[in-house]
Amino acid sequence: MMLAELDNNSNLPAGIYYFINIMRDAFVKNQVRRYRQLQGRDNRKIIGTYCITVPEELIYAAGAIPVRLCGGSYEASCIGDELVPRDTCPVVKASVGFTSLNPISLYQMCDAVIVSTTCDAKRKLGEELSNYTEVWMLEVPHIKDTDGSRRQWIQQLYTLKKNIEKLTGRKFIGRRIRRKALEDSIGIINRARYQARRLYEIRKSPAPVILGREAMLAINAYSYDIAFEWTRAMSELNDELEALYHKGQFVCSEYTPRILIAGSPMIFPNWKIPSLIEEMGAVIVTDETCMGNRYLYDPIGTTEKSVKDMMVGIAARYLMPCVCPSFTPNEDRLYRLLQMAEEFNIDGIIYHVLKGCVVYDFELIRVEKIMKEKNIPVLRIETDYNPEDIEQLRTRIEAFIEIINSKKRKMKEA
Amino acid sequence: MKCYAGIDAGSTYIKVAVINDSTLMGYKIAPTGIDCRKKSREMFDELLSDLSLSPSDIIAITSTGYGRRLIDISNETVSEIMAHAIGAIWTAPEGSKIRTIIDIGGQDSKVIVIDEKWETKNFIMNDKCAAGTGRFIEVLSRVLEVNVEQIGPFSLQAKTPCQINSTCAVFAESEVISLLARGKDRKDIIAGIHRSLAKRISGMARKASFEPDLLLTGGVALNPGLVAAFEDELMMDIYVARKPQLNGAIGAAIIAGNLRGKS
Ligand code: SF4
Ligand code: SF4
Repeated sequence: MMLAELDNNSNLPAGIYYFINIMRDAFVKNQVRRYRQLQGRDNRKIIGTYCITVPEELIYAAGAIPVRLCGGSYEASCIGDELVPRDTCPVVKASVGFTSLNPISLYQMCDAVIVSTTCDAKRKLGEELSNYTEVWMLEVPHIKDTDGSRRQWIQQLYTLKKNIEKLTGRKFIGRRIRRKALEDSIGIINRARYQARRLYEIRKSPAPVILGREAMLAINAYSYDIAFEWTRAMSELNDELEALYHKGQFVCSEYTPRILIAGSPMIFPNWKIPSLIEEMGAVIVTDETCMGNRYLYDPIGTTEKSVKDMMVGIAARYLMPCVCPSFTPNEDRLYRLLQMAEEFNIDGIIYHVLKGCVVYDFELIRVEKIMKEKNIPVLRIETDYNPEDIEQLRTRIEAFIEIINSKKRKMKEA
Repeated sequence: MKCYAGIDAGSTYIKVAVINDSTLMGYKIAPTGIDCRKKSREMFDELLSDLSLSPSDIIAITSTGYGRRLIDISNETVSEIMAHAIGAIWTAPEGSKIRTIIDIGGQDSKVIVIDEKWETKNFIMNDKCAAGTGRFIEVLSRVLEVNVEQIGPFSLQAKTPCQINSTCAVFAESEVISLLARGKDRKDIIAGIHRSLAKRISGMARKASFEPDLLLTGGVALNPGLVAAFEDELMMDIYVARKPQLNGAIGAAIIAGNLRGKS
């Protein structure tokens, strides 16, 4: 649905088609050929990941390919509905649905999946998935700021490294992940993150050159692509967008209400909220979700290039700057939101709560409080992947945008 | 003559209002049916001929409500939230200083908090089930075999209102059936239904930090039993909009004519 709508828009930047095609291959055409190609003649392993706490660097360094499996499909969530408790969030329902029935082959192709013990739902997800596939649990500490949890986290990453080595081992020279390979993979992903940050930088411009629903799609496509190819496509898109900016070809005016999306992940093909927001006349200039800004922002910093040092660098990157609400305390997320509101010159926040997602709903109260002080309105939207509530959501979103517009009008008059 | 029209295409009823600079000239209310575009066009044409106006007399048409984007005769659309906030300019009783509007619709209810310029400050809508909507009363009155018009006066005669715990229409239905089976008076049951609805919506109002004065709109505002239940629940006087069913349509018409300043 969404892809067809996008195709009908003739004003899309040329660079976006690469990402649309990735989504089409994965969800519409169910193209396994692409992944077979990626696997190559040496039959590289494919490892599924859940959540943003799984270091993909380790997977690449072992010559395997990571695929982020957190699912956004309504059909898959309906299948999952029968298999997990009713109040589970649709992300987990869809993930179980995809794995149990394999409506798209991507899930079947994974040689193993890594599930992080983040929120309650994800923690139990691993057990469910182990009925169908090999699961490695990755224990993520919930309190970042103690020596114990940091030590535990590094240990977890070493265990993960071992698991990966065992899976891929024999096909490569030696069994272990070598220094050079790790250094390379850190570089590959840092370059991907650099391009993602560049995209966000471009979106700070007073009049936007790309709509949020397209930018978010391009970022989301990273889940199903191989990092360096995605990076190349993203860098071309960025070049194109910069050129558009210099030519003054904007997608909307500088008076268009600027929205930040925060909250539960928005995962393709569940694109109803981004589509509605922009259909109703606002523009999404940034997001604070684990499928967007939080996923691909912070780079890994290492000083020495020993395996040990790099492992510490990786561990630090995946723990410290991560503001996933499964961590507690999570004050950092509030700072980040405030900072983003300022840098992107936000007029309002749409806070997305997926039904059953308790952690994000909990943090909403604090977000509302600090944004009230900054006089930035926040709209809470609770929904799942079911399209039945679109008209009700439309009314809410439209009214919210009207409020912002009248506020902007008043400010202009004053 | 300069006339403006507002069409509120709701989930159960379509409301059309025509106004000029200062008065409501005429209106029509009819069930939405299956073809909301055709229906609203018919109603609009009928209304014009009733008022002996020609289409060229209508300077602008604004539509609101769920079907708003289907209506091809209108010049612009606005959300129901905005339409209701603005509608209150005309429908609020003389002397009131409305700051909160509670609109109970067929499929959803809204609490809208406005400022002295009738601009929306905050709003809350109920979730997507029948709880807290006009449909809730409609479904239950059918179980009780009471006409929807009778239900209000009926409940005012209640002696000891029953307690209805479910807010879900389906569960409330079985609750009502078991109350009937236990020989409870229908009047007491109806009063209980009103209380349950008022409780739920008052909760929404508190969440939206409502301020007095409070205006009730939507067809159910004509039900005195419900108004009384709201007054009990919120412990304050509640204003009922003049022509509460038309509040959204009038609001849309005011917006069409850009008449906000002139109340
Ligand atoms: S917010 Fe955290 S726990 Fe939730 S899906 Fe994203 S990474 Fe996983
Ligand atoms: S954080 Fe929320 S949306 Fe993500 S898996 Fe957990 S409950 Fe689901």
